[in-house]
Formats: sequence, structure tokens, C-alpha cells
Amino acid sequence: MSTIFWMIIQVLAVIAIAPLFDGIARIVRAKMQSRVGPPDIFQTYRDLKKLFKRNKTVPKYSHWVFKYAPYILFATTATMLAALPVTYSTDITAGMIADVFVIVYLGALFRFIFGVASMDSGNTFAAIGGNREQMIGVFVEPVLIICLIVVMLLAKSSNLVIIQNLVREGEIGYQFPSFAIASIAFLWAIYVETGRNPYDFAEAEQELQEGLLSEYCAEDLALSHLTLLIKQFAMIGLFLTIFEPWNFKNPLLALIVFIIETGVFYVAAVFIDNLGPRYRLLREFKKESTFVLVIAFISLILYAIGV
Amino acid sequence: MGMVYALYLLGAFVSIILYKENKVAGKIGFSIAAAASALGVFYFLFSLNSSESLEISGNFLFHPHFSLDSLGKFFSFVICFISLASSIYSIQYADEYAQKSNIGVMAFLFNAFILSMLLVISASNVFWFMVFWELMTLVSYLLICFNDDEKSLKATVIYMGIAHLGGSMILAAFLLLAKSSGSMEFADFTAKNLTPLSASIIFLLAFIGFGSKAGMFPFHVWLPKAHPAAPSNVSALMSGVMIKVAIFGIIKFCLWLPVMSWWGILILIIGALSALLGVLYALTQHDYKALLAYHSVENIGIILLGLGIGVYGLAIHSPLLAAVGFLGGLYHVLNHATFKGLLFLSAGSVLYATHTKDMEILGGLAKKMPYTALAFLIGAMAITALPPLNGFVSEWFTYQAMLQAALGEGFLYRLTFTLSIVALALTGALAVMCFVKVYSVIFGGTPRNKKIYEKAQEAPISMIIGMFILVIGCFAFGLGATTVVDNIMHVVGSFAGQYQAVKDGAVVSPLGSLISTPMIAIILMSFLALPFIIVVIALNNKTTKHIVRKTDPWACGFKYSPRMQMTASPFTGSLRKIMDWLFRADAKVIDQGYFKPVKYINHAKDIWWNIFYLPFIKIVATFSNKAQYLQNGRTNLYVLYILIALCVFVVIGYLI
Repeated sequence: MSTIFWMIIQVLAVIAIAPLFDGIARIVRAKMQSRVGPPDIFQTYRDLKKLFKRNKTVPKYSHWVFKYAPYILFATTATMLAALPVTYSTDITAGMIADVFVIVYLGALFRFIFGVASMDSGNTFAAIGGNREQMIGVFVEPVLIICLIVVMLLAKSSNLVIIQNLVREGEIGYQFPSFAIASIAFLWAIYVETGRNPYDFAEAEQELQEGLLSEYCAEDLALSHLTLLIKQFAMIGLFLTIFEPWNFKNPLLALIVFIIETGVFYVAAVFIDNLGPRYRLLREFKKESTFVLVIAFISLILYAIGV
Repeated sequence: MGMVYALYLLGAFVSIILYKENKVAGKIGFSIAAAASALGVFYFLFSLNSSESLEISGNFLFHPHFSLDSLGKFFSFVICFISLASSIYSIQYADEYAQKSNIGVMAFLFNAFILSMLLVISASNVFWFMVFWELMTLVSYLLICFNDDEKSLKATVIYMGIAHLGGSMILAAFLLLAKSSGSMEFADFTAKNLTPLSASIIFLLAFIGFGSKAGMFPFHVWLPKAHPAAPSNVSALMSGVMIKVAIFGIIKFCLWLPVMSWWGILILIIGALSALLGVLYALTQHDYKALLAYHSVENIGIILLGLGIGVYGLAIHSPLLAAVGFLGGLYHVLNHATFKGLLFLSAGSVLYATHTKDMEILGGLAKKMPYTALAFLIGAMAITALPPLNGFVSEWFTYQAMLQAALGEGFLYRLTFTLSIVALALTGALAVMCFVKVYSVIFGGTPRNKKIYEKAQEAPISMIIGMFILVIGCFAFGLGATTVVDNIMHVVGSFAGQYQAVKDGAVVSPLGSLISTPMIAIILMSFLALPFIIVVIALNNKTTKHIVRKTDPWACGFKYSPRMQMTASPFTGSLRKIMDWLFRADAKVIDQGYFKPVKYINHAKDIWWNIFYLPFIKIVATFSNKAQYLQNGRTNLYVLYILIALCVFVVIGYLI
């Protein structure tokens, strides 16, 4: 029971604090682009609050999938975050949902609902964005799964709690070349999954990840924004859980460290985010994902020959 | 079990006797089928762990003797479960065919089809197995013919061709095995006298023979032709359970023969190829029933992945590996039957309401057919293995089986197993894309053709009940994973290894990884409540009234038209571009003059047809052309042929 309690606490804490880091990231981005930017780091909270006050419009023909998609997406990403063993990391039987495949397939659930809702809106740009989202999934999924396979095989388990404990105790780790190389490819995959420039999410929002939301407004849009924030935190959290686990037994302390760590990664991503244009899906993106796939593949081969 | 069989037989005869009362005969026939299936579901479920047999006394050839062990019971349960939904669905769906064909005959064939599948499962010697196997093919062939048009004719010919090829190979495999063990009875089959080479030959014959019926690559060509041509209630049965009967055959052969590890690897590789190619071709389809048929190829691939690991486990004498592999495979048999049946039935409802199989002109149907849309959405989510529905659990076990196999020694083995995990993961990502496309193009968005949209209506009540039986199945087999795993583990334990797969309300892999679907569902539900609470609080704090306006979607300031929205082919456009080396689509741009829209045609081809089948067909055609000189229609000549053949056989018999 206490596990479920800690899961909920973990999600609530991230929901409460994630917009703060978004605010910091926005200020940093504005400084890099020589803009004035938002007045302080609380701007994202104010934006969300404002959105909740707005009246909304919905497309005439859209049905309940469109209507409830923000709620389902929110629940999905929250569950992804809850499945990361941050606060309950010592309890193996409690980690019944902390499985690698659960997280990967919750990601699929997210993409599925996101895609259907974007098509259901009837908006052209939203649907193009939906298509791009699916394609990114197709490019990233093999890389993600190859890295995870290497980790799972080294740990001989797909349970995140066990994997995390093994990495923390140094039983598996960077002394294995396959693990080290997998971490590089995995970091790329995670970065793409968080939906940022140069792969996604430019300021011009149409047809990108935000474009999927072009028919959403008011509370739906606010929820979707929050969802995307949680998703980024969950994705970064997944990387940290496997490759850089924290060393605290106290759940509260672990949670605080987790949030700060993911937050730092979140803000640091701005530095990649701002340099360079957005990639075209079938040209640069394809090239780069092939390159990373090769890296991931090398790590797999290294595992197969036993190092 | 005799009772269940007798009821189907009764249903068949009653409906054919009443064939003059067209609609009444159908209603009675399908109701009897439903009753028989309901009985079968409970009977086979509760007697899952016991084996029993049934003998028909009297002077029959090869005295008919039917027996079911746990494995047979499991497959019988799957057949009855899908038949239950499909026959309830058919009671009103068959009215569609009242004008152009006889429903009494349809009900007769329907009952006979289910019965023949059940009897194939329970047949206990070569003769009766082959008789019912061919009967199953023949009856399903006649059922496909109900949609009488040019396409279905071509489909049936292809279907029959491949079924013949498969049937002859199965027969050859059976006879070889029977010869070496000296008996036609399954119970007496032994592998004592077999050399590794002859065992491998028998296995390959059986694998190709059954695999062609199961629709594995490269024998998948008949599925996307035959399933769209058949009436939807029949496609649900064909895709849901008939192809599983072939899986049953493969398992049977692997248990009779002394398995070798490369058989497992072969099954695994064929499985991975079927899964990937199946979903890739599914992505390019416009016909939603053909799309679902290609997904059957994909899912048969996933089942074969599980079986491959199971067979490999048997071969290397690792009961744990065999247990988890077969568990994943059999679980996916049950799951695929459930959600594919569901998807075909809901596709049938769409067809019933719109009379078109082309999804490019549908759209917005969820407003008109809310229950069908919900059923289709659940089916789509189950088939893409989204937690906490049933597809997820079986794929999880398949992943665990492959992971465990990959832990073994040997560079090539490790690489094969890990690459098949990657294939399964990629299949998952592509399947999500495909079902986003098919669901939202049919049910979401703005209607693309107003006429069809206005005419569309929700399906009648019996069809909805039929669909929702399977919806419940999708939830029950997902959330009740522990019970299902418990039962399947008994089945698997009866022929392969066994391990404690259920612990503290979670399902466990031999590696010790554990998941609990109810737990995932609880957490999803509790987090679903959270945004509602946030929204309610936020809206209560609002000072002004909350207004929701209904508008057209935003179109950059232009007037919105439904033609602006995404359709099925551009949605997969980028994917087809990068996969063009496989699809070999020849894009055609037809300019119809200034005042008409430019037509753009871009259809992907199934290149395997040209590679594997066309040369073969050409050879047969040339040979037939040459052979026509022998066949000049004179009876005397044919008598001579028979005489010559007889003499030749006598000489051969004398020499041997």
C-alpha cells in the first residue's frame, strides 16, 4: 500500500515542480536568443492558470476520443512516471509495474491516443503532426529497445527495481563496454522522445508535437502542456534510473534528488535545443537515427560476444 | 464433448432442412450455433485439465475415435469462444445476404465450419484428421463464395491453391511419420526409428503445410485476398480461429518428433519475418479488411516467435525456457483470436452500415456508430499490445522468453534472439501507427463523404452483443492475467516444462520479472481521476460562465473543407517513401485536364507474389498447355490411361 502512496506522491511532486524548471529553461533560452523573455521563473504556472480560465472551442465532428484524450494522456504519462522506482526503490515485490516493457508500451499508448486525437480533430496540421509523431516512434523504438535489451540481459531481469539496484551496487555498469555504449545511444533516444529541437518542438508550432494540439484550447490545452512536461521528466527519469541511479535509501531525499537531477537535465537540454535548425524527417533525421542505430547495434554485438 | 459436437450437427441439419424459410432458417441455425458455443465455452473451460475421448460405434472406415487432451481442450475453448461471439453477431448480420443468397445454407456451412475445426483438433488418427482438415478448407471456401463477385472468385482460387499445397505436404508428413512408427493412430506415433534427417524432412513438410494455412510468410498471400472476400462473421472465424488450428498442428508435430534446436530457430526467424512484413504491408492498405488480414500475418508471426522459443527450449532440454515460450505463444493464440475476432466483427458492422471497404471515403462514423467505434478502439488497443489489455500480457511473456533465450551461450544464438526482440518491438511501433490510421480514418475526423455518413446507422443489437462479448474478453484476459496464466500453465505443463508463473497476484517470468495488470489498471485509473479533479476545481474557481463553442477546425484562415484533412495514404506517406525498396509502388499521376482534379495513384505491391508465385504459376500454365494434347475428350483414351497407370503401379509394386 505504501508503494502506491509513494507513487502518487512522486507524481504529484513532479507535477508541482516541473513547471518551475520549464520557467528556468525558458529564461535561459530567452537569454541565449538575446530576448528579454519571461519576467521570472514562475511564468509557466501563470500560463497554465490563464489557460484554465479560457472558454473553449471544439471541432464539430470530433467525438469522445478527442474530448477525453488530454485526460487519458495525462494518466498515461503519470503512470509512466509512477512506474519509475524513485521513492520505492528498495522494494522488489512492490515494483509490479516498474517493468521496462510496461514503460515502453505506456509510451506506445501515449502515441496511440495522441495520434488518434490529432486525426480526430479533423485539422490538417494536427494530422501531419500525428504522422510525424508516429514516424519518430518508428525511428526511435529500435534504438530504445536495443539499449534496453543490453541492459536487461546484463541485469538478467526486466524489472527496473532490480536493474537499478544492480547498477547502484556496481554489479553492472560502465565497466561493461556494451553498457557504456548503450548509454550513449539511449541518451539520444531519450532526447528525441522528450520532443525537442532539432527533432521536434520548434517555436513555430505547427505540424510538430505541439501541432497535434492545435485544436485544443483552455483546460484541455493546459492539461496537454502539463502532460508533455511530465512526459519529458519521465523520459529523463528513465535514463537516470537505469544509467545514473541515485544513492539514497530515504524516499523523500531520493525524490528531491531525482527532481533536481531531472530538472538540471531538462534545463541543460536547452543548450542542444537552441543550436541549429529543426531536422527534416526523411533527410537529416533519418541519417542521424541510422547512425545512432549503428551505435546501439555495436553495443548489442559487444554483448553478444560477451563483453 | 459429444454434446457440443452434436449440437453443432443439429444446427447444421436444422438450418439446411428449413432452407426454404430463408431468414427463419438463418436465425434458428445461428442461434443453435450460439447455444452450442456457449455450452462449449463452459464445458471446455471447466474440464481443461482432464483428457477424454469419444468413440463412434458402427461400421465406419478407420473407426472414428476422437480424443482431447489439455492442449486440445484449450484450442477447443478458443474456437468455441470466438464462435459464440460470431454466431450471436450473425443472427442479424446475415440479413445482409437475404436478397442475394440463402441464409439457411450459410448457417449450415457456418455450423459445419465450426464443427470441422473442433473435429480436426480432436481427431486421433491420420485418416480422420485429413478428412476434417480438408473439410474445413472446403467449407471455408464455400463460405467465402457468399460474396459473389469477381474478386472473391480470384481469392477463392488462390486460397484453394495454397490450401492444396499445404494439405498435400501435411499428408506427406503424416504418412512418413506413420510409416516409421507403423501405425496411423496418433497415440502410437513414435520417433524411435527416425534418423535426424528424416525427422527434419517430416518437420519441414509439416511446418510448411500447416504454416501455409496459418498464413506465415511467404505463404501469406491468400489471407489478404480471402479474408476481405468472406462475409465478416466468417472472416472473424477464419482469421480468429482457423489459422490457429494450423498452429495446433505445428505444436503436435513438434511433440511427436525428436526436436532439434535449429527448428526452433527456423520457426523464430519465420515468425519475426512474418511479424515485420505483415505489419508493413498492413500499413499500405486502403481496404480495412485486407489491412486486418495482414495483421493476422503479423500476429501469427508473434505466435511463432513464442512457439519457436518453446521448441528451442524443448530441443536444448530446458523445461523453463520451453514453458515460458509455449506460454507466450498459447496466450497470444487466445488473445489474437479474441481481438482479431472483435476487429473483424466491428469492421463487418462498418461494412454493414456503409457498404464500402475503402476507408478513404469514410470518416466521422463514431458519432453515428458509437458502440462499434468503442469496440473497434478496444480491439485496436488490444492488438497493439497496450497495457493493461490482453495483448500486452502475451507479448510480455514472448519478450521474456526471448530475453531468457538470449542469455544462453553462442554468438549467433544471442544475436538471433536479440534481433527477434528488436523485430517484435519495431512491429509494435508500426502496429500503433497502423491502428491510429485505421481507427481515426474510419471513425474520427470530419465525414469525407456526406452521403455515406448520413445513411450510416448503428449496428443492430445482436451484432453489438456479439462484439461486446469479445470486448469483455479483451479486458478479462488482460486484467485476469493470473487466472489465464494459471490455466495455460497447466496446458503447457502437460507437454513441456512448468514453473510457478503466478505469485502474489502478479504474473512472473522465469527470470523473476513480474507485472500485474490489475495494478497497472488501478494506477492508470487513479491518475485518470487526477486531471478531472484539477479541471473541476479550476472551473469552479472561474468567475465567468464556461462556454464551449462548436466550430470547424482551423484551416489557416481559409474556409474549412473535409477534403483538407488527412486520409489514410498520406498518413503513411513518409514511411512508404523510406520503405520503397520493399513496396515497389509505381506512382501514377493522371492529369485529367484543367477543370478536374489531378489523380494520384500509389499502391504498394506484395512483391512476394511476383517472386515466389508467378514463376510457379507460369510453369504450371505452360505445362498445362503442353498437356492438353493428352486430353482430347475421348473416353476410350482415358480408359487406356487408367490401364497404363495400373500396369505401371503393378510393375513398381513388383519391383519394390
